Amino acid sequence: MKHGVQLTKDSALALLRTMLLARRIEERLIRLYHQGSIFGGVYCGCGQEAIGTATTAVAGPNDLFAPCIRDMTVHLGRGAQPLDIFRQFLGRATGPMRGRDGNIHYGNLQRGVYAMISHLGAMLPVVTGGVMARRRQGRDTIGFAFIGDGGTSTGDFHEAVNFAAVFDAPVIFVVENNQFAYSTPITHQFRCQHLVERAAGYGIQGVAADGNDVLALRDIVAGLVADIRPRPRPVLLVCETLRMRGHGEHDDASYVPAALRAAWEQRCPLLLLRQELIADGLATEAELEALDAAVQAEVSAACEQALGDPPPNPATLMEGIYAAG
Amino acid sequence: MPPAETTYLEALRQALQRLLRERPEALLFGQDIGAFGGAFKVTAGLQQEFGAARVFDTPISESAILGAALGMATMGLRPVVEMQFVDFAMTAVHQLLNNAGTLHYRTGSAAPLVVRMPCGGGFAGGPFHSEELEALFCHMPGLKVVYPAFPADARALLLGAALDPNPVIFLENKYLYRHVKEWLPALWSPAPLGAARVCRPGRDAVILTYGAMVHEALRAAERIHSEDGGEVMVLDLRTLKPLDTDAICAAVAATNRVLIVHEGWRTGGFGAELAAVVAERTFHLLDAPVRRLTAPDCPVPFAPELEKAYRPNADKIHEALVEVLEY
Repeated sequence: MKHGVQLTKDSALALLRTMLLARRIEERLIRLYHQGSIFGGVYCGCGQEAIGTATTAVAGPNDLFAPCIRDMTVHLGRGAQPLDIFRQFLGRATGPMRGRDGNIHYGNLQRGVYAMISHLGAMLPVVTGGVMARRRQGRDTIGFAFIGDGGTSTGDFHEAVNFAAVFDAPVIFVVENNQFAYSTPITHQFRCQHLVERAAGYGIQGVAADGNDVLALRDIVAGLVADIRPRPRPVLLVCETLRMRGHGEHDDASYVPAALRAAWEQRCPLLLLRQELIADGLATEAELEALDAAVQAEVSAACEQALGDPPPNPATLMEGIYAAG
Repeated sequence: MPPAETTYLEALRQALQRLLRERPEALLFGQDIGAFGGAFKVTAGLQQEFGAARVFDTPISESAILGAALGMATMGLRPVVEMQFVDFAMTAVHQLLNNAGTLHYRTGSAAPLVVRMPCGGGFAGGPFHSEELEALFCHMPGLKVVYPAFPADARALLLGAALDPNPVIFLENKYLYRHVKEWLPALWSPAPLGAARVCRPGRDAVILTYGAMVHEALRAAERIHSEDGGEVMVLDLRTLKPLDTDAICAAVAATNRVLIVHEGWRTGGFGAELAAVVAERTFHLLDAPVRRLTAPDCPVPFAPELEKAYRPNADKIHEALVEVLEY
């Protein structure tokens, strides 16, 4: 048994289902974008589904998440429904942000998920503060703060990690090193050999992980959670992965070398989990096909429903700028 | 024996003390505000009284301070944080403009947080310790902006700001910290934000102003009165956003002549907004063009001779008032 966390058929299929949902939703969003139904942009996490899936799988109900651009599986793992996501990307009045913000900028604090803003790194101190608050309120909260390789170059990344270290705030800073920040490769982003080396400079633990192996990553995160929940302190968790699409769907990612892309295609997190489930005898090809078909049907139904929902009423433009009271 | 008077600085301290006593969810943090009591001593003694869990120092990380305060506010705490100087808040302005200011509109989550920022010059602080940046904050949707001129207002408005469910930029004038005193009642209430106050009545002209310039305006108005009996109203705006436009219109209706005074820069300064409000709402009431007296569009200079030339004061206000009155 190579898995630290017990792997059951149900838990394994739940992991696969979350990743499949994200993949199939994104495929549909891409189509809607090219059909002109989605304004603004579509930003996908294709290839990075394992990271949000593994972290949410081991998190507790009081934990807080600050997902970044490619983390649809964080939202799904914390209970967002496909319908919420379609409404969000379509800018519908019924969506989580009610059309006030679009695409990946959504969250739900009832589920412990902050809505990101575009400024990379800006949410890292916010979730750190949220965790500090909940700890003061006697809860056992830990935080999951997501950032990309490019985002580690921001001042906010430095400020937040150092701040969390100084206050022993139990936050796992999850760096998704997907090798490119928009078009800029990591060779133009930092000079250290591996981003995990940065942890030493903050006096915190650093852990390197394969971001595409959801089972191995789940085990690593489960270990970190068990460690820092009772003994609060931050950790830097660097997950290696590759962004399999452009920064957004307007971007053909022609700057990504074909050989690199081909190598990571073999390491697609959905593919790896399917192979493992079949090899371990936890599922059959037919069962996995049936799961995918069920996911596709759910996604189609959600998409159709969201398309029929109303846009925001322009008369509400000035509502809610301030909280009442 | 006359009753003891309280400084602007001590009034702010009293507001924070009462907030911490009455609201267990309130906490203070910032650079050097703990045992040291802050660069200006506004938080003196508060860590000793309330403990290091509620009043504490942070690293020199303006964005982490503001971001963490926002995160805490979303979880039901009521943080009041200090930027050591308003000038330094510019390293983290995205946390105010993009994060805190947009939060409720985007998500519906309230963020009851106060950012205290010492502002203004007059003491040879140079270009990076003397700035007046209220116009920037007023430009940002979703923030409220308060700038008291008197100890009683400082105390009541700071508590009012801390009880407001929105992010509030609370601007404090460093020059006023120890230069302004008044008798304060033992019984007092938090003030709601958004109300201006006529701090000197008059019928010949009105000075629209706030912060340290209120006191300079009062001196200039008194000099006009002593010279020829002119009655110049001084309207202390106290809250810049939301702006008390009704009070401004009433003041213009009562005086028909307007001088706007502030310590910040001229181009795009808050006075430009005030002049626009006056023009849009009370053009038909004006007997003279609206006049602005502001700092020039120049970095705040260090040498006292240069800073005196830079900063508006009672003499310059008097000169401008004479022009407005004689038009």
